Amino acid sequence: MSQFVFATAEYVSGDWESAPALPENLIDSVARYTSIDVAPVGVNVKLSSPELFDYPFVWMTGHLPVRLTDAERRNVKRYVERGGFLMIDDHNHDITGQFHKTVTEEIERTFGKMTRLANTHELYRCFFVFENPPPNTHHELNGYGDDLLHRYLDAVLVNGRIGLLYSNKDYSSEWNFHAETKKFMTQDPTKFGVNLIVYALTR
Amino acid sequence: MRSRGSAARAGTEWGLRLLILALLAGYLVHALRVRYRGATEASDSQGLTVALARWSVVAAPARVHVALGHPPPVLQRDWLAALPGAGTMVAWGSASLLPSAIAVDPVADPAGGVDVAVATPAAATVELRDTLGTLDSVRAVAAGVRFTVPKLRPALEAEVGSVVARGAVHDSLELHRLLVLGTAQWETKFAIAALEERGWQVDAHIAVSPRHRGDVQQGEIGDVDTSRYSAVVAIDTTAARYGDRIARFVRAGGGLLIWSPAAKAPALATLAPGAPGIPIADEHQVPTDTAPRSALEIVPLVGLRPDAIVLERRGDVVTLAARRVGSGRVVETGYTNAWRWRLAGGDAAPDEERTWLARLVASVAYTGRRQVAAPPTDVAPVATLIDRLGPGTPKLDATGFMTLAVVLRWVFPVLVAALLLEWSSRRLRGVK
Repeated sequence: MSQFVFATAEYVSGDWESAPALPENLIDSVARYTSIDVAPVGVNVKLSSPELFDYPFVWMTGHLPVRLTDAERRNVKRYVERGGFLMIDDHNHDITGQFHKTVTEEIERTFGKMTRLANTHELYRCFFVFENPPPNTHHELNGYGDDLLHRYLDAVLVNGRIGLLYSNKDYSSEWNFHAETKKFMTQDPTKFGVNLIVYALTR
Repeated sequence: MRSRGSAARAGTEWGLRLLILALLAGYLVHALRVRYRGATEASDSQGLTVALARWSVVAAPARVHVALGHPPPVLQRDWLAALPGAGTMVAWGSASLLPSAIAVDPVADPAGGVDVAVATPAAATVELRDTLGTLDSVRAVAAGVRFTVPKLRPALEAEVGSVVARGAVHDSLELHRLLVLGTAQWETKFAIAALEERGWQVDAHIAVSPRHRGDVQQGEIGDVDTSRYSAVVAIDTTAARYGDRIARFVRAGGGLLIWSPAAKAPALATLAPGAPGIPIADEHQVPTDTAPRSALEIVPLVGLRPDAIVLERRGDVVTLAARRVGSGRVVETGYTNAWRWRLAGGDAAPDEERTWLARLVASVAYTGRRQVAAPPTDVAPVATLIDRLGPGTPKLDATGFMTLAVVLRWVFPVLVAALLLEWSSRRLRGVK
């Protein structure tokens, strides 16, 4: 039986490695709150490589413009259509930023227009229950980036399941800290990350 | 005084009279034989319609023999079977009839389809067709062949040589829900996805946290019985929480599809065909189109129970096995990450993996059955022929009645010619 392995997407353009502490932090949270058999160390996987299909959950982030190669686009499309879960987070938290503009272009070019995810979606209650989803980040609340509170996440749905989830909320900054820091926090911000993984593993 | 010529003429006339008397006597003897000892007639497949009418209305022979090139249609077969009631013994023979039979069963799969089994001698070519034409053609390697027809057809025909067996689906299946039990892992997720995409209604209990607080439940998990579920799918040992209920369910006729690691749990081990062996890792090979499961990780089935039936092996190890428990059936799979087949396999992989998993479920699923109207069938034409007419007999001897029949055809013209000659000879002599 296969372990859950947290995978970070490598892509040719941009800065895919911009949240280096995030994988370890989410792995810690999954191990802390759930009984999921999780690998203690994450992996990096190229979007264009066949190894992508060994990791049904992949995290993708960055600040810089994203231009997928043909091989990357082909792989991503196949991956999502077959049941993989690709989480893309705008590390700029800025709808006028280059990452948002280019990556949404790439998504729509590959899959068509994304669906706005209802805030009653089971993603927000499949493990932890969030009353006012999607959970906000400190970067939103402090007015960084586009100075907006993004009220919804967008998704590509395949047979009613989320295959690709897109966020402008900058969870990459919110969760990019050393896992040990959680013990000094009153609220663990990574709980929504646990929901993402539980949803991907159960739906 | 008569001349020498007229004496010879009178002798000839006497000869003709004797010939006429002999022929009439022959006819009389033949008529008596027909009357008291009976006649034998023969026909073949081509002339059978005409022969049946003649045997029933005109000739009433004592015995008939039919050389069949193919099994007679149902009407002719029943007609032949009725002849003994009218005093005509019926025999048949054929050098070309290959015994064959067809069985058509609906598959317990929301996507529909039927299983077709054709029993036939080895090396015979079986052509399967429906009303629109040929579906497949296969040479039998053992005692028959199996087909899976994805769409339900009202009737199917299997042609083996000159024998055409006709079958039809007589039952409609009533499928209930599936209950999937496992931990939050890829195999659980993709098994549920594949089954739902196939059309199954799935309830699931997915263990996520140590004390089961926050477990993911899909659907209203009610009583585990055959009125709600067709089968339980147990991915790992967390299914043991339902152990007693699953055991009762299976003994009452429900189905259980179990992944071999789940058989570690004592509550499930009593139901499983085998115990889990030592895992054999997949080494991240890409599943190929030709042998996709050979690239998957397995936990082989070991210590098989005496009543277990091996369904599939990889080399020396058992990867699939089945057994019956009470009224229910259990299939155990050693493939523990079939999700890689779907995700990393070739272009057809998602559909093939879905179909494979659906077949495993179908092989155990409990279903209600409802009879439906079906077209007329003839599932085993040769067996039915033997049942109605008895076993075939060799072709009749050519020196028997056939020779007599040929002779009898010439008797009447010879008789008429002899009468004419005798009469004209006498008239020419001036004798009345």
